[in-house]
Amino acid sequence: MLDPLSPRAQSLRSEIQQFLQLRLADKLGALAADDPKREALIAQYQPQAWLADAARRVTQLQLVTHPLKASHPDARGSSLFIPPSSLPPRQEVGSHALPTLVSDVVGNAAALDVYKFLKLSHAGQSLLSLLQAGDADLLAALSDDAEQATAWRDAFCSIAEPASDLICHALAKQIYWPVSPDAYPPDAHDDSHFHLLSILNSSALSHWLYEQIQADRFGEATKAARQARRDGAAHPHGYHEYPQLAEEKKGGTKPQNISQLNSERKGSNYLLAALPPQWNSKATRPLYGVASLFVRFGSQPHVRGLLDELRDYLGKLKPEANNMHIRNRRDAWLGELFTELLQFGAGFSNGLPKGWTAHPDCTLPIEEQCWLDPYRAEDDEEFNRAFQWQDWPAQLAERFAHWLNTRLGAERLSKHQLALGEVEFNHWRRELAHDVALLGDWDHKRRAVDHRLLPAARTQEVSHESP
Amino acid sequence: MNRPELPEIDALLHIPQLSVQNANAISGPHSWGHPGPTHFTGLMTALQRKLGADSGLSFVAVGIVSHGYQAQTNGDYVQRFNLTRNPVGKDGSTAAIVEEGRIHLQLSLLFGLQLNTQRRAASDAELDELAQQASRTLQTLRIAGGSVLPGHSRLQPRLIRLDEDADVRSQQFRRLCRYLLPGYALVSRDDLLLQHHTTLREQDATATVLDAWLGQCRINHTPVTDDAGKTEWQHSRSAGRGWIVPLPVGYGALTPLYEAGTVARCRDPHTPVRFVESLYSLGEWLSPHRLRDYRQLLWYPGYHPENGVYRCHNDYQAPSLTEPTPLGVTA
Repeated sequence: MLDPLSPRAQSLRSEIQQFLQLRLADKLGALAADDPKREALIAQYQPQAWLADAARRVTQLQLVTHPLKASHPDARGSSLFIPPSSLPPRQEVGSHALPTLVSDVVGNAAALDVYKFLKLSHAGQSLLSLLQAGDADLLAALSDDAEQATAWRDAFCSIAEPASDLICHALAKQIYWPVSPDAYPPDAHDDSHFHLLSILNSSALSHWLYEQIQADRFGEATKAARQARRDGAAHPHGYHEYPQLAEEKKGGTKPQNISQLNSERKGSNYLLAALPPQWNSKATRPLYGVASLFVRFGSQPHVRGLLDELRDYLGKLKPEANNMHIRNRRDAWLGELFTELLQFGAGFSNGLPKGWTAHPDCTLPIEEQCWLDPYRAEDDEEFNRAFQWQDWPAQLAERFAHWLNTRLGAERLSKHQLALGEVEFNHWRRELAHDVALLGDWDHKRRAVDHRLLPAARTQEVSHESP
Repeated sequence: MNRPELPEIDALLHIPQLSVQNANAISGPHSWGHPGPTHFTGLMTALQRKLGADSGLSFVAVGIVSHGYQAQTNGDYVQRFNLTRNPVGKDGSTAAIVEEGRIHLQLSLLFGLQLNTQRRAASDAELDELAQQASRTLQTLRIAGGSVLPGHSRLQPRLIRLDEDADVRSQQFRRLCRYLLPGYALVSRDDLLLQHHTTLREQDATATVLDAWLGQCRINHTPVTDDAGKTEWQHSRSAGRGWIVPLPVGYGALTPLYEAGTVARCRDPHTPVRFVESLYSLGEWLSPHRLRDYRQLLWYPGYHPENGVYRCHNDYQAPSLTEPTPLGVTA
């Protein structure tokens, strides 16, 4: 006579039965009431029969953290099981920083129900971890036949065993990294100075990111915070936005062929944007028919935005407010504006053909022409004189300071003593002069080189003409 | 861990205004956009190998400056990649789509070089010829998987021998920076990641570096209530904070290093093999005129056997926010 089951084993057994009942009900629901297949299906879902079958099919699955198929669905090689705790500490962001171990499963998608079974949780522990610990109650719950239960346990535990041999694949990412066997730096010409790195992706990290972003996009807490912002009301917490977020679909219509977690995400993999700021090349059409470069500079959306922010910020301050923190913030804005100006100017001097300011439609003042078209000085003697002798960097800086003060509403701001003063003016002048000096200097040196290269040809020309 | 430093270099090679078509836009498993530093250090190695051992140039580091891009995506809040269905299968049927991200790039590269004795004594004309040769060779290579299109830039590739004197070197670099405008240079912000992680840990001891990283890669809107009880919503991307992006900087080992030939179906049976995963950090795109030293711009690969990290380094150090930066004194 068999020993009666312990209460815990009883409850485990009923949990397993419940799981099977649910799955069976799902399958039966899809069939007509008089379908002859019903009988077979019911037989298949008898616990003993199902477990025997599951123990056979579990060999088609493997527990992993880094599935290879996430790189390419047709890649056939090793996936790895590397828990975060087994990795050494690193400063960078990687799967080693994940707070918990989240496993993924790869293999035959038709056997994934076995993994769902192993993931059933009893008092906070999955059946798999109970099996791995050799839990006696669970073994008793699996089968009345102890030998049979042990065999099944061994079969189920094999899911966590790594595949025996490590195999790479042509469709897996493989790169060479220079590593010197002795002294730094490695020699790129020596084939022995490289390691071949095969790159796998952490499925759990993708999943972590996905869950964070889903919650930040669609979660109830986020909705409430967004609403509070629209209403201008207070809220216990804020919300997050992901500009230029991209979504990549892995596995197409069959995300389960990549991995279990990928299937749970419906194949979606979020990618955070790492794009540089975009320089608006339309801003560098030749400046014809305008009186100053600041007309176009000031009309650029980004510059307008910066000006508005700065004006709002300064406008809100109390007249007596003027401390280091405020000045730093203001200077950060001014620095951004100045950066924009340099970028804007360089767009013309580096981007347009030299001499573009010589066009009759160009009505820019000479100091702006000097800055935006410095190479014209190479060919144009008259222009060169202006370029060499005029105090144009100072004039340009003054124009900039004047333009900025006007746009910020200087009269209103003068009470703050935060508008541009003498110090800033000198700063812009020096920065611009610096910019220009570098330019002139470089140019000078380049022309010196050209002259050194050219004389031979010139003397020849001369000698041809003179006789 | 000791912070690595850029090895000494003797010269800078400036390759201006390259147009790259269809470069890989998915630079890592969790980010997309501009190709990361590893793409360019790889390019650097490929270029050196193609130039041959007798070129007398040894490539040490590379600087990346973006002048513009055109991402091949569509969508409004969530971007999706423009995909092509190719190639067809053997029987003419269409193959399953494996998503690829593409981006057209306009960029300038600045390589940090070591010259051999002969090149160190070379004339300016020889250096110009070398620069031209390197530029021509570069155009035959793939850049982050994309092809180089013939350029129309007025600027020429240039090889600049750095002076012995540190001040002159700095001058040489700043002069060069002017040719990198209009554009944005990529620098490392490991410091920001570390700093933000420490800040988060002060509030919540369980905060991981992942939380710190994600917190810097998005716009955070927070309500701020002043003393008068008035609430104002602020966001974390205000002026002066910099253009911060997630950056795949290299790889972390998952397994020990396997001897050459022991792992089946590798690219070659003569090189030791290791399985790795991508490692992320933070980067910043900033205007090159803010850089004072070529060390701030250049990226170089490193390997740290003690924790199995293969990553690119950059010696940029952000100006400290606590220190006031008085105007009018810097220039």
